Amino acid sequence: MQLNPSEISDLIKKKIENFELSTQAHTEGTVVSVTDGIVRVHGLSQAMQGEMLEFTGGIFGMALNLERDSVGAVVLGSYQHISEGDTVKCTGKILEVPVGEALLGRVVDALGNPIDGKGTIDTTETSPVEKIAPGVIARQSVDEPVQLGLKSIDAMIPVGRGQRELIIGDRQTGKTAIAIDAIINQKGTGIKCIYVAIGQKRSSIANVVRKLEEHDALAHTIIVVASASESAALQFIAPYTGCTMGEYFRDKGEDALIIYDDLTKQAWAYRQVSLLLRRPPGREAYPGDVFYLHSRLLERASRINANEVEKLTGGKVKGKTGSLTALPIIETQGGDVSAFVPTNVISITDGQIFLESNLFNSGIRPAVNAGLSVSRVGGAAQTKIIKKLGGGTRLDLAQYRELAAFAQFASDLDESTRKQIERGQRVTELMKQNQYSPMSVAQMAVSLFAANEGFLDTVEVNKVLAFEAALQSYMKSEHAELMANINATGDFSSEISTGIRSAIESFVKTHSW
Amino acid sequence: MSELATLARPYAVAVFKRAKETDSAKTWSKNLAFLATVLTDKSISGVIDDPKVGTSALSTLLLDICEGQLDQEGSNFLKLLIENNRLSLIAAIAEIFETYKAEDEGSIDVGVTTAFAFTKESKQHFNATLEKTFGKKINMKIAVDLSLIGGVLVRAGDQVIDGSVRGQLQQLAQRL
Repeated sequence: MQLNPSEISDLIKKKIENFELSTQAHTEGTVVSVTDGIVRVHGLSQAMQGEMLEFTGGIFGMALNLERDSVGAVVLGSYQHISEGDTVKCTGKILEVPVGEALLGRVVDALGNPIDGKGTIDTTETSPVEKIAPGVIARQSVDEPVQLGLKSIDAMIPVGRGQRELIIGDRQTGKTAIAIDAIINQKGTGIKCIYVAIGQKRSSIANVVRKLEEHDALAHTIIVVASASESAALQFIAPYTGCTMGEYFRDKGEDALIIYDDLTKQAWAYRQVSLLLRRPPGREAYPGDVFYLHSRLLERASRINANEVEKLTGGKVKGKTGSLTALPIIETQGGDVSAFVPTNVISITDGQIFLESNLFNSGIRPAVNAGLSVSRVGGAAQTKIIKKLGGGTRLDLAQYRELAAFAQFASDLDESTRKQIERGQRVTELMKQNQYSPMSVAQMAVSLFAANEGFLDTVEVNKVLAFEAALQSYMKSEHAELMANINATGDFSSEISTGIRSAIESFVKTHSW
Repeated sequence: MSELATLARPYAVAVFKRAKETDSAKTWSKNLAFLATVLTDKSISGVIDDPKVGTSALSTLLLDICEGQLDQEGSNFLKLLIENNRLSLIAAIAEIFETYKAEDEGSIDVGVTTAFAFTKESKQHFNATLEKTFGKKINMKIAVDLSLIGGVLVRAGDQVIDGSVRGQLQQLAQRL
């Protein structure tokens, strides 16, 4: 038998010393039936909606259905030992999870218990899992960017702090890859990340954790796991748990980024719970409140103003806004975005990044469909230089898409059409980016500048990426100061413009790729 | 169990309202208790569940058995239950009726389990304290259970006040 770290005799002694006896009145009920994690309890007349219920053996549940003579509850954990006639106690508390800085770098389950084998988590505060989103007065508009480090996204579909940007696509189109790159790119920016894995294979979660560790990005990240083997109730709760942990940073005047991977599985888990609770099924057998399930979750991702932060911290933090940016992920079946859950989440979020499997298979990775992807509020938050340079990219690609069908008759086309097609091909090529290699603002600016100003036009299409790589390493070694300047200010002045131009010109003259 | 209560409630409410109108809560209470004992008797319940026994035969049989024990309204109620095929609900109806009656009288049934039997004074004192906490007259039912180790466990409906040493030990075990 293994000794638990909390079983050291000194600790036990201290706990006994500090143990406060409480003779509290509580309400009790008896279990009437147990079916697939759903428990019907007779009694418990005082139970609140969403209240934690205590079962025998220290397992907790959550009251979801309050009926006249019974309470329908989900068991959060294993329910094998619960049998008919067991007593159930009300705890008088709404479900709460631990929050705080101590969670960073850890992997926890949907109730905030550590599952990474690194010992107990030293948190002092807890916070309810279900909270109402900040009101209208508390909010501030989105005007600062979150750099995901991906050229195609930061240039064309920018994400601002406090925005909800959906990542949608079929299986195997690189949805998680975008999320992981986004987390890796937040290293050193002060943005805390929360990655919520819902209904995923444990092996893929282990992969994500390992990749983040390899890229030194776990230290600013909390990973909340409700894997496919855990009960549907935990999979349904996990996003709210992650959101509560993220709100802690938002309410402290810091910035956080949360990734829900993915909400389709959460909707499935909720559908299972609802059907077992005998709530009437609606479209695609989802319950009537599946829209509210996601809208109340995503509403909590927001930017709050300095006054609200001051109020929430009791005056400790002044003059700082807080934000929680959400990147929910939805998996579609066969590219069908008109299914129930995808349409719901598309309408809730402030834009979507649409990934396509045929783009992915033809080697365009990230497989972003620039035509269908939008960001409704990110434009206001975009870094000036990227906004200036990225506008051209979007236009080039849009024109290219219209003409792409003619690309095979290249010889019969007039000069300007041919040029547009060639530009489009090169820009499409330029938008490719390897996984785990996010780019800084300056690096992106240089690449986009080269495309906009026609430096790529003389480069062969299949050499574009090699050209870019050589250019980036040249800029890094020869013009470090200029790059640092761009990264620091993000402005696009004529000075910077001429700086980049002369740098690229000298690169083209002196280097091969 | 909960489904039974849902089905039984309308009957109990109706009986209680009628009892209030005619001011006969006591007789109704006795009627229902009697019916519950009769109908839950093994030999009777066998006849009730027998599909070969028709409703008319059943009602004559049951009314004969209850002859002299039930007043006119009581036997009407029995006939209604037979007609609606709800005889199995009688125990639940009686129980819900009793809670309504107790609530109306401003009293409450409290089960008290102690580790050691009360002395007379302590019982009185305890009764007074409970009356204060619940704000109602207390019908105390006392049971002695050594496994509590010490202290008392009070149970009123689904409210539980656990002041026993056993409960405290359980709390401690959980904290550790």
